[in-house]
Amino acid sequence: MLFRRTDLPLDRDPSGRFLPWLVALMVYLAALALVCAMAMAKMVERWDTGLSGTITVQVPPSETGAPGAQEAAIDRIIELLLDTEAVHSAKVLEPDEIAALLEPWLGAGAAYGELPLPALISVGIDPAAAPDYQALAKRLADAAPGTVLDDHQSWLGQLLDLARAIELVAALIVILVGASAVAMVIFATRMGLAIHGRVIELLHLIGAQDAYVAREFEIHALRLALRGGIVGLLFAIATVVLVARLFERLDSVLLPALTLSPIEWAALAVLPLAIAVVAMLTARFTVLGNLGRMP
Amino acid sequence: MIRFEDVALRYGAGPEILRQVSFHLEPGSFHFLAGSSGAGKSSLLKLMYLAQRPTSGQARLFGRDVTTLTRGETALMRRRIGVVFQDFRLLDHLTALENVALPLKVSGQRENKVQQHVAELLAWVGLADQIHAYPPTLSGGQQQRIAIARAVVGRPSLLLADEPTGNVDDRIAVRLLYLFEELNKLGTTIVIATHNESLVSRFSHPVLSLSGGEVRMRTAPTAAGAGTGSAGRGSVGRGSAA
Repeated sequence: MLFRRTDLPLDRDPSGRFLPWLVALMVYLAALALVCAMAMAKMVERWDTGLSGTITVQVPPSETGAPGAQEAAIDRIIELLLDTEAVHSAKVLEPDEIAALLEPWLGAGAAYGELPLPALISVGIDPAAAPDYQALAKRLADAAPGTVLDDHQSWLGQLLDLARAIELVAALIVILVGASAVAMVIFATRMGLAIHGRVIELLHLIGAQDAYVAREFEIHALRLALRGGIVGLLFAIATVVLVARLFERLDSVLLPALTLSPIEWAALAVLPLAIAVVAMLTARFTVLGNLGRMP
Repeated sequence: MIRFEDVALRYGAGPEILRQVSFHLEPGSFHFLAGSSGAGKSSLLKLMYLAQRPTSGQARLFGRDVTTLTRGETALMRRRIGVVFQDFRLLDHLTALENVALPLKVSGQRENKVQQHVAELLAWVGLADQIHAYPPTLSGGQQQRIAIARAVVGRPSLLLADEPTGNVDDRIAVRLLYLFEELNKLGTTIVIATHNESLVSRFSHPVLSLSGGEVRMRTAPTAAGAGTGSAGRGSVGRGSAA
């Protein structure tokens, strides 16, 4: 009770008003950046898992339009595929399955029967003994000119690049947020040192060590940053929940899922704690540095 | 306890406030520091409580040359010195109790061990019913007594008081000086800066007299009061203008 109150009235400083809101904003941005990175990583993983073990072969419609020509080409391709080591299944997609795939782009009312669509063959392969795709593609094209093999790697690679770029940006935002927090706390602490110069001098005159004075600023910075960090995190969580609901309504397979695992939630919860610790240490070293330069 | 040899002090490029000040105060002594306003009493006290370092000369406290002290050592030495500031320097956002307890908190003492002691000390200076009051709500005399209580709460070896009776009437001033004498009897070395010659003359303690930036020692006047402290255990050296 007697020693509960801090000796420096730092709560009355202007920093007590602006610092928590700035920290809240920074934690909000950092949390959203982290959620984006985590969602993107999850999406890549989902696509990677879903597509590994399958390749797609497209057999174009006959250029001459001769009846039965495309079916004959499909038969040749199927035979060739099933003769290939590591291929364990080959299934021609039905027209309605192809229509379902094209629906997001062409709409539900498109007249698919009138379009010269290629036939699609979904090929199951053993990922552990994947064939030489280039050689297989050449053999398929020889068997039926215009046949294309898509092992999804090019598309997945682009997705992976995008995910890595987003992760990099997220990391950059977190670093910038940390650096901004450090700069703000240094500014606020120096302001506090100037405002409370006479009280600090008195504390020194009655025997306070520099570390004692630094502790006052440390505790103050820790409290403010924690308060702001928690507010920022709560706003970020609300935003994530809102966006996740919007994604659910869109029901698009291309959008990342915004559901976080307990570990990911824990990573988000660490953000305000981490920024509070950064603020505390910054205040400590700023005070010790400034007081150390005094005579 | 305190040994100054040819000590001089100037602020920045300004004129010398103190020059060739030499004296020696024995442990357990009681001295007044007298001089007119602007004579340099506060500056001399600042050298004694380590708020300033001499521009030249040697100042020794507790056997240590003050110019060789590190920041950490300075802090530890200041804990052995109680100071009553002329402007009190109380913290307005702390209660009387918290203000008085501050030196104990700073020196790392436990709260449960100091609460009762601090309350008793406030009662000793006549502020038992004001322990939860904030300084701005108290009179100048009451604030001064809080400042005195804060200066003595850590049982310092050396007590320095800058005009400690400046805001109280003569009756309370004499009573406060009796409090200082009680402390002196317990072994605390006391230096009281005052320009109140009539008060000085009521106690039989030697006087360090400052004039024109120089110091000379006056022997203890015949006490009109009951002063019986350890007077006379000090000397002024060659550099003074005695």
